[in-house]
Amino acid sequence: MNPEDEVNSLYPIAVLIDELKHDDVSLRLNAIRNLTTIASALGIERTREELIPFLDESIDDEDEVLLALAEELGNLIDHVGGPQYAHCLLSPLENLAAVEETVVREKAIESLSKIAQIFSSEQIENQYISLIKRLTNGDWFTSRTSACGLYAPVYKKCQPSTQAELKKLYAQLCKDDTPMVRRAATTNMAKFVKEVSQDSIINEFVPLFKILSKDDQDSVRLLTVEVFVSIFEVLSFENNENLLNEELRGLCTDSSWRVRYMVADNLVKVANVVGNKTIQNELVEFFINFLSDNEPEVRTAASTQISGFCAFIPKDTILNKILPCLKNLVTDSSQHVRGSLALNISGLAPLLGKESTIEYLLPLFLQLLKDEIPEVRLNIISKLDVVNKVIGIELLSQSLLPAIVELAEDKQWRVRLAIIEHIPLLASQLGVQFFDEKLGSLCMSWLGDCVYSIREAATTNLRKLTDVFGVEWARTTIIPQIMVFAQHSNYLYRMTMIFAITTLAQALTPEMIAEIIIPTIANLSDDPIPNIRFNVAKSFEQLIPLMKTPQLQKAKEEIVKPTLMKLHEDTDNDVKFFANRALSIVDSV
Amino acid sequence: MGSDLDRQIEQLRRCEVIKESEVKDLCNKAREILVEESNVQRVDAPVTICGDIHGQFYDLKELFKVGGECPETNYLFMGDFVDRGFYSVETFLLLLALKVRYPDRITLIRGNHESRQITQVYGFYDECLRKYASVNVWRYCCEIFDYLSLSAIIDDRILCVHGGLSPSINTLDQIRTIDRKQEVPHDGAMCDLLWSDPDEIEGWGLSPRGAGYLFGGDVVESFIHANNLELIARAHQLVMEGYKSMFKDTIVTVWSAPNYCYRCNNVAAILELDEHLNRNYRIFEAAPQEARGIPAKKPAPDYFL
Repeated sequence: MNPEDEVNSLYPIAVLIDELKHDDVSLRLNAIRNLTTIASALGIERTREELIPFLDESIDDEDEVLLALAEELGNLIDHVGGPQYAHCLLSPLENLAAVEETVVREKAIESLSKIAQIFSSEQIENQYISLIKRLTNGDWFTSRTSACGLYAPVYKKCQPSTQAELKKLYAQLCKDDTPMVRRAATTNMAKFVKEVSQDSIINEFVPLFKILSKDDQDSVRLLTVEVFVSIFEVLSFENNENLLNEELRGLCTDSSWRVRYMVADNLVKVANVVGNKTIQNELVEFFINFLSDNEPEVRTAASTQISGFCAFIPKDTILNKILPCLKNLVTDSSQHVRGSLALNISGLAPLLGKESTIEYLLPLFLQLLKDEIPEVRLNIISKLDVVNKVIGIELLSQSLLPAIVELAEDKQWRVRLAIIEHIPLLASQLGVQFFDEKLGSLCMSWLGDCVYSIREAATTNLRKLTDVFGVEWARTTIIPQIMVFAQHSNYLYRMTMIFAITTLAQALTPEMIAEIIIPTIANLSDDPIPNIRFNVAKSFEQLIPLMKTPQLQKAKEEIVKPTLMKLHEDTDNDVKFFANRALSIVDSV
Repeated sequence: MGSDLDRQIEQLRRCEVIKESEVKDLCNKAREILVEESNVQRVDAPVTICGDIHGQFYDLKELFKVGGECPETNYLFMGDFVDRGFYSVETFLLLLALKVRYPDRITLIRGNHESRQITQVYGFYDECLRKYASVNVWRYCCEIFDYLSLSAIIDDRILCVHGGLSPSINTLDQIRTIDRKQEVPHDGAMCDLLWSDPDEIEGWGLSPRGAGYLFGGDVVESFIHANNLELIARAHQLVMEGYKSMFKDTIVTVWSAPNYCYRCNNVAAILELDEHLNRNYRIFEAAPQEARGIPAKKPAPDYFL
């Protein structure tokens, strides 16, 4: 390569390097995003000796540039010469780990962890531990917060003496004056306890846990729930039965609802580690309390755990203790609680078996199906397949279908609309035969509904059903019934028929469009009512993009075009307008 | 037909006002169309007849959800588009824009609130001033009010008028001779058509409204007979059930503002006439809160601003 070529090939790189210093933030950001490209062009040595020091000096930038920098630095390990040279990345990342913006610090910690992974024990001891110490003893809470995330990744690579020192420093972070630091220490403790020995957990971390679980800030206490789970994923709960019982009880009955929420939301995870005896003796009662907590957020969270938690307890406990609470939740004043309940309650069916499901759960389903909030009703319907598996389609149809049909004929059109929107989902769960028998005529009757929006939704529904049951089903089952509306004496219903088959056409085969859809619509071009005639034009306008096969091309030339030409000469201005608009695309597609 | 107009219709359908200059253009175009219309505008069935709207924009949207959108469904609105509700500007401009875009698909006739005097008292004037910081839009609209037709006749059989009959009018031809391009007068035939009410009396009575008359079943019967009609459709009076038919189904009141003034708890109705003049009344309720896209709170009155 002659020197001139070399200059040319480096030109884009030179631009990027210039842009690292550009006044425009978006250009600087772009340059940082291309840092690996710049580095490979510069080569290992110049990256190490020029680029990294330059970047280290440019830490005083906009947060979004710093965020990108924190991320990209983690990708530069190979570009500075591999693990043995990666220490040169530590300095800029250490500075980034101390900035004010949380997301930048988090990214810097992520990149620092990456480096910890590839470092040898020796490098950790010589180059990394001092960094951890500096951050841990930083003046600002930002550095100390960041430090918390670096202990778990390096711990196992350290000498025992260093390990002891690290644990001491971590204890210092757990007792920091600033709640933000204590929060970070708590969050990271869940990971840290997985790295240390069981003895260490019992002798050093359990005492720390006890302090944190009684912290005066509820934002710290609520984070200990996950640490609790982590600790007993390592330790056997049964062998250490009385270690943290009191703390668990404390969290379950905490005066702050946010803490109780956290336990309720993680109850299945807690149940998984504490073992059967504690579940039966203690957690069942706490679960009942959560389900009837004063705060709707806690009740909502507890509802998400219903089926998961009940899997741990005997059937008669579910029936005698849990079910009464669920009965109350069905009429809960918060729609979010009812929504969460509706989504999760069907999971009890497999646990209770056929008889009990019919006796105890179905009445609750029925009530939720009639809830005034559409989302609650949808949640119940969306999980019916679980119930179907337990009690069978026959019983399901006898018990729930009448309620669904009743809603489908509700005098409030918005209730009818809500049910229509759930029909495709229901159809996919019930299967075609059952659907045709029980719901098919309902779906057709909506096409003749007195409310326009229902007729419109009915057409979309038929299209979605075609996606579920296939085009052959549409051809034999629904199209013949739609065609009947072409003879309706009221123009509004003839129009619905045009909408329905136009919408349906999108899901049909080209043959069906050519043989059934196009002739039917063309026939309506002689309708006495102009509204029907201009909707023929509008329908063709929508169908023209589909007319690509030879058969459809032929239909387009022989039927669609002449029909539109005729409508173009209509006496009504709107018919002319829409025919003209359709004609304008007929040859361009 | 301009895509500008289609854009304005879309904007108004989202309850967003259009620019003052666009209102001016729109009114100019509307005037050209309305000036050609007769005092008894001929309309072909099928058509859907609607009563008072009174600036209840989201309830008008509800009406379209039940009856179908214009131009798919043909509409005839019997006046009182403005005043009392929060969105008289958006309501009237949307209907007017639809009229300009689809003159054969929608008919607008004049109600007693389409008047300079009344709109200064019942809200439309203040709303224009608040939303445009000038009274120009109100002026343009009032000018259009003067051009709105006074009545419509569907397939020569059904007369539509905002208020009712007048002692000085016996035939449709007499309505046709009125010079309508003026502010609604305080008395006389034009005033009566926009102000009168049917009542269970014989002959004519004084109206408690202070304008127009009360008229009885015998008056309706002879008018129907003299003009070979089958029905008079009118609006003007709140009916809790949305519509109310009187005098052996020879006159019907259609009211299309559900929960009138956001407090009356009434339902609303529209009258769908198919191509054979079969009548179907469709009842609807006020749009639910989540369909309104506005805080439930009333906007602060001007004097707080």
